[in-house]
Amino acid sequence: MAHVAPEIFNGLILGAFYAVVAIGLSLIMNLTGTINLAHGSFMTLAGYLAFALVSAGTNWWFALAAAPLLTVIVGIAVERTLIRPLYRRDPVYSLLLTFGLSLIAEEVYRLIWGTNGVPFSPPLALQGAVSLGFTYFPAFRLFIAGALLVIIVALVLFLQRTRLGLRLRAAVQDNEMIAALGTNTQVLYMFNFGLGILIAGVAGVLAACLLGLNPQSGNALLMPAFVTVIVGGMGSLTGAVVGGLLIGVAISVTTLYLPAFSEIVMYVLMAVILLIRPRGLFGEEGIFG
Amino acid sequence: MRMGNRAGLITAIVLLVLLMFIPQLAPHLHLAISICTEVLLFAMAAMGVNLLVGYTGVLPFGNAAFFGLGAYGTGLTIQFWHAGFFGSLGYGVLASIIGALLIGPFLLRRRGIYFSLLFIAFGQVFYFLAYRFTDITGGEDGMNFVRPAVEGLGWQLKDESFYYAMLLFFVVVAILFWLLVRSPFGRSLVAIKENETRARYLGLNTDRFIFVAILISAAIEGLAGACYGLSIMFAYPLLLDWHQSGNIVLMTILGGTGTIFGPLLGSLIFVIGNDILSSAIPWWQIPLGALFVACVLGFPKGILGTILDAIERRRGGFAYEARDTMHGTVSSEREIQP
Repeated sequence: MAHVAPEIFNGLILGAFYAVVAIGLSLIMNLTGTINLAHGSFMTLAGYLAFALVSAGTNWWFALAAAPLLTVIVGIAVERTLIRPLYRRDPVYSLLLTFGLSLIAEEVYRLIWGTNGVPFSPPLALQGAVSLGFTYFPAFRLFIAGALLVIIVALVLFLQRTRLGLRLRAAVQDNEMIAALGTNTQVLYMFNFGLGILIAGVAGVLAACLLGLNPQSGNALLMPAFVTVIVGGMGSLTGAVVGGLLIGVAISVTTLYLPAFSEIVMYVLMAVILLIRPRGLFGEEGIFG
Repeated sequence: MRMGNRAGLITAIVLLVLLMFIPQLAPHLHLAISICTEVLLFAMAAMGVNLLVGYTGVLPFGNAAFFGLGAYGTGLTIQFWHAGFFGSLGYGVLASIIGALLIGPFLLRRRGIYFSLLFIAFGQVFYFLAYRFTDITGGEDGMNFVRPAVEGLGWQLKDESFYYAMLLFFVVVAILFWLLVRSPFGRSLVAIKENETRARYLGLNTDRFIFVAILISAAIEGLAGACYGLSIMFAYPLLLDWHQSGNIVLMTILGGTGTIFGPLLGSLIFVIGNDILSSAIPWWQIPLGALFVACVLGFPKGILGTILDAIERRRGGFAYEARDTMHGTVSSEREIQP
């Protein structure tokens, strides 16, 4: 059992990444009906921007804050010019468009930063191990666990406790009604997309330091995030968190005992959960609650 | 078919004659015959996608699973069971149908974007199976196999004769497809596409119709994939990947969904464009991605759809077509359904 415990903890961290990516994806999906296949590309972009900033001599902490914000600017520009015309049209169009964007992005990263990954390590203060009393654990992983937790809690508070969050949740339910009541839904869509990209950006920088940074590194998190959305229940924040953690732990533990099944296990989990609960673990109809 | 029967028939005959002389024409156009075969096979795969996206109104963004299952089904049965030419193709199609039977019931649970999400996710299962079970499938490197001889006759088809065999398959599938979408079954699918709730109230078991459409689509894609496997004598995991699905969906949309000839046109542009670009520039993925963006923003009805619209406008006629509901002109309702 002794060697399972750290694997479970690693699985929880991996799962927290899936949860955070899944939350960004479903924010965008629930409000605008857009499956953002370029979500992983935005994560990679944030990672590379942070890498570029740190290489240029800035502080890692500054890069952690600035790179996601720069990514949000790119994201909002893309949303305004390319994705906006596709709202209310068949989802096939936004799927194809964001897929095309991810192809372009991947090639651009390759042209600028090379095909192979670049080394991007966390700051010295976060390297090394921390004693947990019974075992030692890498400090950076603990930091990531804390950071992802903060993101999730902040998002829940934002959605539940602020007027803007309320408007977002209302727009998911009935965007025509909230438009009639005087909310500019176009601005709301833009804000929502930006929020999804911001979360992806922060996760992207952290993931770049933990899991490596190459032109496809963000995309590797995309598919587990899809499965997380399905397992957790579409539209449920709690579901995304529980689903993500469940999948992360399942993958880590399977990697330890049956490495050949490490990718398949999440699909098996997904199939089983869909059989028992077609809407996913916490599935509601498109409301973040 | 919006073109009217006669125009459609004339187009079909002209196309067929053209396709029959491709092996003679290809050298003058600096095209390898294998690329022409590839155009036909991806056109066939796009036809399978077209049945779902153009006629049933569900988005198969994981369809490459069926395409790749066809290729692997063929390759594995040649390798391990020494299947013949037609036998291996049959096993390929069977593999796809079994795949569809396995994941179909899960897909039917949701509609709209959630259907697409489920399709993408479940499609990836087969990718990872091929990727991981290295002993059987060769894993990431893929598996090589030799194109077997035709059973009984001992013919070893290659290049030109293989092209003609594929053309025969293509024509047969296209005719069957044409008959299918004009049949009461095909009409029911269009009814589901236009308004599933209404179709259900009219007494159609829409789940069953969509399931059968998925099975037929999988069979068509499986045949295309099996033939593709025989064509390149190779099967590799990326054939099953959702990137491949995206390519096939793009071909369908690019040509024009809900049209008979659209997939062929889309495949022609995509396959040949890709072939030229990828050998000319190392960063070919950028123009490829730009093609996706341009198609979505510039030709949402596809090239053929746009042309047909222009012809119709000149005639001043109005014909309601299955495809029109895709563009949000009919209903302002959100596409998300439970």
